[in-house]
Amino acid sequence: MTSTTPDPDQTGAGPETPEQLTGRKPGDRRVRVERPHTLLFRYSAPGVLVARDKAHEGRSSGQRLLARTKAVLIGRPLASEEEATERLSKKKALPIFSSDAISSSAYATEEIVRVLVFGGVAALLLSVEVALAIALLLALVAFSYRQVVYAYPAGGGSYTVSKYNFGRTASLVAASALLIDYVLTVSVSTSSAVEQLSSAVPAIHGFSVLLGVSAIALITLANLRGIREAGNIFAVPTYLFVVSALLMIGIGVYRIVVLGEGADYAPVIAQQSADTLQAVSALLLIRAFAAGSVALTGTEAIATGVPAFQPPESRNAARTLMVMALLLGVLFVGITFLATNFGITHQDGPGGKTVLAQVAAVVYGAGTVPFYLFQLFTALILFLAANTSFNAFPRLAAILAQDGFMPRQFAFRGDRLAFSLGIVVLGVVAASLVVVFQGQTHLLIPLYAVGVFIDFTISQAGMVRHWLTERPRGYIYRLAINATGCAVTGTVAVVVTAAKAPTSLIVIVLIPCLVALMRFIHHEYRETAQQLALRPDQIIEPPHRRERVIVPVPNISRPVVQAINFGRSIADDVRAVHVTDDADTANAMRAAWERQIPGVPLIIVESPYRSLVVPFLAYLDVVAPEDDEVITIVIVPEYVASHWWERVLYNQTSNRVRRALIGRPHTVVTSLPYRREQP
Amino acid sequence: MVSFRPMSSALTAARRVVVGLNGGPTDALVVRTACELVRGTKGSLAGVHIVEIDWSHDLSEDIASDNETAATVLDMAETLADKAGCRLETTLLQARDVGAALVDEAVALGADLIIVGLPFRKKFGGDFAIGRTVPYVLQNAPCEVLVLREPIADQAARGREPGVAVGAGLGASDRI
Repeated sequence: MTSTTPDPDQTGAGPETPEQLTGRKPGDRRVRVERPHTLLFRYSAPGVLVARDKAHEGRSSGQRLLARTKAVLIGRPLASEEEATERLSKKKALPIFSSDAISSSAYATEEIVRVLVFGGVAALLLSVEVALAIALLLALVAFSYRQVVYAYPAGGGSYTVSKYNFGRTASLVAASALLIDYVLTVSVSTSSAVEQLSSAVPAIHGFSVLLGVSAIALITLANLRGIREAGNIFAVPTYLFVVSALLMIGIGVYRIVVLGEGADYAPVIAQQSADTLQAVSALLLIRAFAAGSVALTGTEAIATGVPAFQPPESRNAARTLMVMALLLGVLFVGITFLATNFGITHQDGPGGKTVLAQVAAVVYGAGTVPFYLFQLFTALILFLAANTSFNAFPRLAAILAQDGFMPRQFAFRGDRLAFSLGIVVLGVVAASLVVVFQGQTHLLIPLYAVGVFIDFTISQAGMVRHWLTERPRGYIYRLAINATGCAVTGTVAVVVTAAKAPTSLIVIVLIPCLVALMRFIHHEYRETAQQLALRPDQIIEPPHRRERVIVPVPNISRPVVQAINFGRSIADDVRAVHVTDDADTANAMRAAWERQIPGVPLIIVESPYRSLVVPFLAYLDVVAPEDDEVITIVIVPEYVASHWWERVLYNQTSNRVRRALIGRPHTVVTSLPYRREQP
Repeated sequence: MVSFRPMSSALTAARRVVVGLNGGPTDALVVRTACELVRGTKGSLAGVHIVEIDWSHDLSEDIASDNETAATVLDMAETLADKAGCRLETTLLQARDVGAALVDEAVALGADLIIVGLPFRKKFGGDFAIGRTVPYVLQNAPCEVLVLREPIADQAARGREPGVAVGAGLGASDRI
């Protein structure tokens, strides 16, 4: 309870005297006080107001309608404090962070087969060896990222690692490669998911692009609603895919190894490839290796998400990473083994099935319920993999925006706490790629792995620098792991780029373009900030300059009177300026002006060439030269349009005057809207 | 071992609780306690802050509506209640006497429990300055009154619960 001697400035009776309530004893009186702010704001501390939901509501009916539509589509707005801060157990983190990586096994084998088919059956039989080599690379990358997880418990994405160890340019290269990868993850995963579905239901093959774009639109919308990556939405499909794929591999291996089943490649394969048959050369194997290395995409996700794990974060993340790598390796090699032994190769065109679908058809039986279920699980995990990027891309864009390398809008959270702009941009770009590449996964793949391996290399190189700088106990062993990882992934990056040229070169060109763009944005922000900044020791005294108000007046009307009166309230020197090409009308106006608005000089500027804005600017130059110490306040009277069509009819000259004055030194432009009272 | 006396049934069955908010350190304790009590009974909670008007001003003069301190007291109590999972309806009053206004408002709201805080003043060795308001409320409230004292620093450090005084319009003799 407060004892108050009122501040005279804060007192003053309101329009109505509040009723005095009587108490139980004679003389006890109290008055209930209205608090006008409570509907819209709540104080969180003296001088600090927090806007309530009502304060966010639109003022016009159009704004309210838009808000209602948004609420239906993406849900009610969430307050910042409603953000979930759930920590993830290993069981929950595995599907969340691994859906991208594990889903790669759905198309990696097919990419190997697509290359080796040019070497004929002899080359196709080497698929397993190529897959094993890639699995070995996966193990090396996983062990390398295990070091990252321990060294950067706050999240060790390649952007972070390179920023701390190499500085700006390397980190921007890493960020650019990551951004490209996230976009491609969406495009590739969605296209592949649609291909898995069309393998099960060939009738939808002709609608691949439409289905892919629709799926991306749905995922975009879902993310704008702010779906939580920590939800069970991730866990179920990922585990369903993993279990059903492991079961498929188990059954397939049993049939091949124990029952001696298996099939040779169809003679038609040898016949089809006879014309283009290449020797099983090292080059072909390297190209197959490069194609299949797409299996490694998504491996870095756990390293970037260490803070999301339950404590001890690093240990839990490292163990989850190892489990993920093991699962991915087993699935990838297992699927490749089955495909090779069942004589399966890729099928293009309408009715064509993916390699994985063919393997499933052989093991589970084509057209059976398990086959359809497996295809459904595969499509689901691929859609979820796309969703992983919808979490990662906007966050990276937001970090880059906070660091000043991307437009600041990317750091703003939308109504549902999601980084809306990043989500929308990702959705639009990924959908465009699906359209351009006609939703064909194998056409998108050449773009995909290049950026991933550049990221791997930068990250591992950053770790080498980290160990050399920090030199903790036993660092030599860790240094060796990361140095080996760096050398191998660097080599693979070159190989992948060369093997997938010329398509892969798009990424190689795009990365420096993005780096240059981000550096330009950073330069602009920094320069502007420097120009706008105050020195810390600078004390701002009250201004000593005079103000002069100039009001451009087209006629004598209520908006003009309002502008003149406002001018009078802020300065003694107020002038009205009327630009005209009709001297007679101007004289009549002057007479009326002097009679109705005495005390405010009206300056008539005759304009023989009928232009209005330029003579007005010239007048300003005469009475208020740019080096003048007087601040010129130009008050532009405006009429508030009641209807959309009135905007076309009114204020056109006012808008031109305002636009012409923006940036004029020592000049303040004020629009003074006049709202017509409704009859 | 610490033993507790059983709480008055009026406390555990309170359905309409009025908390007196003074903007001091006891407000948080008062609001949290009130929330705990009404959560069990699904009762309602009202917070009252009273701006005392001296005799140089008319009581009807609008003094408190622009008073940022008074607004902050009530708004912060609302926030505390929100965090504790209950809804606090707040009222700002102007009155000549805080105690009388609090009791009268509680009567008007049909309260069956009034909760007020008793701050601990650290000056001169520290003391509970009980002032005029708490005795007035204890003596004149027609319902149960719960006085929550501010935890003394060293007691709080030893982990003891803040003390509770319970009265039923009889004075402060029930203090423990």
